[in-house]
Formats: sequence, structure tokens, C-alpha cells
Amino acid sequence: MPTDPKALAYFAAGIGAGLTIMGGAAGIGRLAASAMEGIARQPNAAGDIRGAMIVAAGLIEGVTFFALIVTILLAIK
Amino acid sequence: MNVLPLMSILTLEAAEGAGHAAEAAGGAEGHEDVAAILMHHVLDQPFFGFPSKHLAFFVFAALIVIVVTQLARLSYKAGIPSGIGSLVETFVVFIRDDIADKNIGHGDGARFTPLLCSFFFFILIAALFGLLPFSATSTGNLAVTMALATISFLAQQWAGISKFGAVRHFVGIVPPGLPKWLLPIMIPVEVLSMFTKPFALMVRLFANMLAGHMVITALLLLVPLMAAISSGFGVAIIPVSIGLSLFIMLLELLVALIQAYIFTLLTAIFIGMYAHPAH
Repeated sequence: MPTDPKALAYFAAGIGAGLTIMGGAAGIGRLAASAMEGIARQPNAAGDIRGAMIVAAGLIEGVTFFALIVTILLAIK
Repeated sequence: MNVLPLMSILTLEAAEGAGHAAEAAGGAEGHEDVAAILMHHVLDQPFFGFPSKHLAFFVFAALIVIVVTQLARLSYKAGIPSGIGSLVETFVVFIRDDIADKNIGHGDGARFTPLLCSFFFFILIAALFGLLPFSATSTGNLAVTMALATISFLAQQWAGISKFGAVRHFVGIVPPGLPKWLLPIMIPVEVLSMFTKPFALMVRLFANMLAGHMVITALLLLVPLMAAISSGFGVAIIPVSIGLSLFIMLLELLVALIQAYIFTLLTAIFIGMYAHPAH
């Protein structure tokens, strides 16, 4: 286990980035799956569902980016 | 010709890559320097006498928004726009109908449409500016997004205050009809949420713009990094690096549009929440 603080910081940044993307991708994947299902059930609601999907994806990605900024700070500083 | 847009995108990219590579090759390549070069490209720097590159491009983007919208306004002949007017009109009608009226509604939508249009066009054009070579995305600066979020926050508060007067607005932030013991919990929560909403807007826009550019810079920096190990690697990685950067730049176009839309949409939703509470 490296004890040099810079090494630990890089280690933590790597793990943090992985966890961040796991959470974000899982959330957006579920969102996309339900959106596809909804469009399949009601093709004429496709426009509304697509709009709502994009908004929700943007919000989830926003949260993901909060965490990403923390990991980037760890790697840079 | 279908090849023409692709060629122009590739030359754009080659120019940006040359810009990065020229600066990267100047310094020694170590792991410390890669991080420094990465940050150097996305952080603020002086620019031809201007103290701040982000400020310079902020002003450019604002000027372009003003010029484009005035040209659009002038292109109206007998109520029918032409050329750039029809493009701008498409966006403005979309913002007025699907964003302002749907989320604010009850006749207040038209009042806030100019503000929402300003947000949308400015964020979109600032993001598009950032894709050009030797330029910077002004919304990739926390100060700029903080300013946008502050304006959004003030608009939300003004929406409530202009409708209900200051006292009733602040009293009405807490939903009516709550049991008395819930108030000590709800009041701090509601006050806090009043501030976290613009804060989230700020960080979301900033992080999206920053992350896109850091990824592009990192991918393009792979070339001199690999070339420092061996020139064979350097040459081999060029098509990979440029291909990935091209893909990410196309994604950035999409992200620019989506982030402008989300900022505007969320501002409209929050304004609606304060102008018409307890929907």
C-alpha cells in the first residue's frame, strides 16, 4: 500500500472516477431502457418521451460531473 | 459533396491539434507536465493584451448573439422572416411555447421568454465558440457560470416578488397546509433548496463544458506523449487520437445544445415554481 500522499491521491482519483462512471452509467442506462420501452408501447408519444429522456439524462450527468470534479481535483492537486 | 464537411472538421481538428502539440512539444514531457499542460489549456490565461481569455470570448459570444438576433430582427419583411431570421425564429418559438408557456404558463410565459432566450443563445454560442481552434469556452469558467446562475436566481426571486410582494413570496416558499411540527424542518430545507438550485445549474454547466474540453485535450496530448516514448508509437497513435477527438468534438456539439436547453428549461421550471406555487 503506497503511503506517499501524491500516490494515494492518484489511486483515489482512479477509483473515484470508476465509481462515478458506474453510478452514472447505471442510472442513465435504466433511464434509456424505460424510455425505449415507453416508446415501444406508444410510438406516437415518442417525441415527448425523447424530450423527457434528454432532460433527465442531462440532470443525472450533472450529478455525475459533481463527483468527477472532485476526482479531477484529487488528481491535479 | 458529403466529404466537404468532414474535411473541414478534420482541418479544424488538425489546427487545434497542431496548436496543442506545438505548445506541448515546447516543454519537457513528464507526468507532472502533462497535468500542467492539460490544466493550462482549460484554465484562464491572458490573451493578446486582454487579462483573461475567457473574458475575451465571453465578450465575443455576447457580441455574436446581439449581432445575430438583430440581423434576424431586421430580416422580417411583412411579418415573414428570411434566412437567419427563420432559424432564430424557430428557436425563439420553441423556447416560448415548449419551455416558457409549458413550465411557467398562466400567461406569464411571454414575460420571461426574453430572459430564457438570452440564456439559451448565449450558452449555445459560447459553447460553440469553444470548439474553434485557439479559443476557449467562456462557460468553462466557474465565474461565468456563477454569473449566469446568479441571474437565474434573481429572476426566480423576482418572479415571486413581483407577483406576490416580498413578504408573501418568502412566506409562500414553504408549501401551505403543513402540520406545525413539520415547519422547523421544512423552512431550512426550502431555504436551502432555494440556493442549491442555482448552484446545481452553475456546476452542471461548468463541469459539462470543462470535461468535454479536458477530454479532447487529453486525447490530442496522447500524440506527443507517445512520441516521447518512441516516434513509431507517436505516428501509430495519430489516427486513433484524431478519430477519438473527432468523435468527442461531435459529441460536444450535441452537449452544447443539450446543456443550453437544460439550463433554460430548469430556469423556466424554477421560475414557474416561484411564480405559481402550490400548483
